[in-house]
Amino acid sequence: METDIRFTHQSLVERSKAGHSSSQYELYSLYVDAMYNVGLRFLGNKEDAEDIVQDSFVDAFKNLERFKYESSFGAWLKRIVINKSINHLKAKRIDLVPMEQHAFHLSQEEETMGNEAVDIKKVKQGIAQLPDGYKQIINLYLVEGYDHVEISEILDITTSTSKSQYHRAKRKLLEIVKEL
Amino acid sequence: MDNFEKHIRENAGEFNEHTADKAKLWAHISAELEKDTPKVIPLWKRPMFRVAASVTLLIGLATIFGLAYFNTNTAQEHYVSKELLEIDMHYQDLVAYQVELVRKNQYLSDADKSEFLSFMDELDAEYEVLRKEMHNNLDNEQVLAAIVANYKTRIELIENLLHQINESKKTNHEYGYTL
Repeated sequence: METDIRFTHQSLVERSKAGHSSSQYELYSLYVDAMYNVGLRFLGNKEDAEDIVQDSFVDAFKNLERFKYESSFGAWLKRIVINKSINHLKAKRIDLVPMEQHAFHLSQEEETMGNEAVDIKKVKQGIAQLPDGYKQIINLYLVEGYDHVEISEILDITTSTSKSQYHRAKRKLLEIVKEL
Repeated sequence: MDNFEKHIRENAGEFNEHTADKAKLWAHISAELEKDTPKVIPLWKRPMFRVAASVTLLIGLATIFGLAYFNTNTAQEHYVSKELLEIDMHYQDLVAYQVELVRKNQYLSDADKSEFLSFMDELDAEYEVLRKEMHNNLDNEQVLAAIVANYKTRIELIENLLHQINESKKTNHEYGYTL
């Protein structure tokens, strides 16, 4: 029988809820690298990413009783890291959505890649070169795997804005990748 | 979702290329968690417990002293004079012992025992009246004398009864010997 992904590491989560520090450390060990990379993708520097990851784990363990297996623990934790990262960017007044001056792309044809597989390294480089507003929505959709409803909640925008902004960001990314 | 998007999502794991400084981050996290972990304060060290303990102690002491005080008063009320206390101590056990002798005596019928003991009850009632009188008239020698007389009457009655019983036993024995 297939195990529901939501209950991954359930026993560790339950022991952590009860305050067992060894279980908390085990959970932390399992997810810290993934969360650190999420933080790095959004914040772009090691120090901020470390701060956000620390805060996120502290919040997660303090509020673990609120985790009711509506998603996997990893997904729940990642949402905390992303929310904190977004709030951090907001506090720094960094654009979270693409700038309007790039809107002309909407009138243009959707750029598509050929059938050949894109080099992931180039994609990473391309994302790094994107303006901040593009970077966040590309990360959220392409790398973190959120849909537009979830992105609209995270960025506090409408679903249609999320879709249109994502397409602009993707077009920009493809342009960059092609030039690399 | 186009091929590009599918390709990126399928290889999203490749974006996790960095490794966190696990020990450093955990040190901060555990320190934060410990900071907020409610300290286990032993029950006896909790302020509320101290207050409750103090209140309980005060109530306990008040109860003990209160009881001691009221008991003293009761004893004082019961024995309004030292003389009465001494009289009671002297006669009470003696009367009680003799009443018990009568109760257990196999030569007395139940009807006789009942009649005798009811007479004793009357003397008890008289004693209670005298004791109350004593309470109202402390050191009243006449009342004290009446109480002593009451006790003596009871003892005398019991002694007489027991003597009569013994006499009747002797007579029976003599008859036996005659036969």
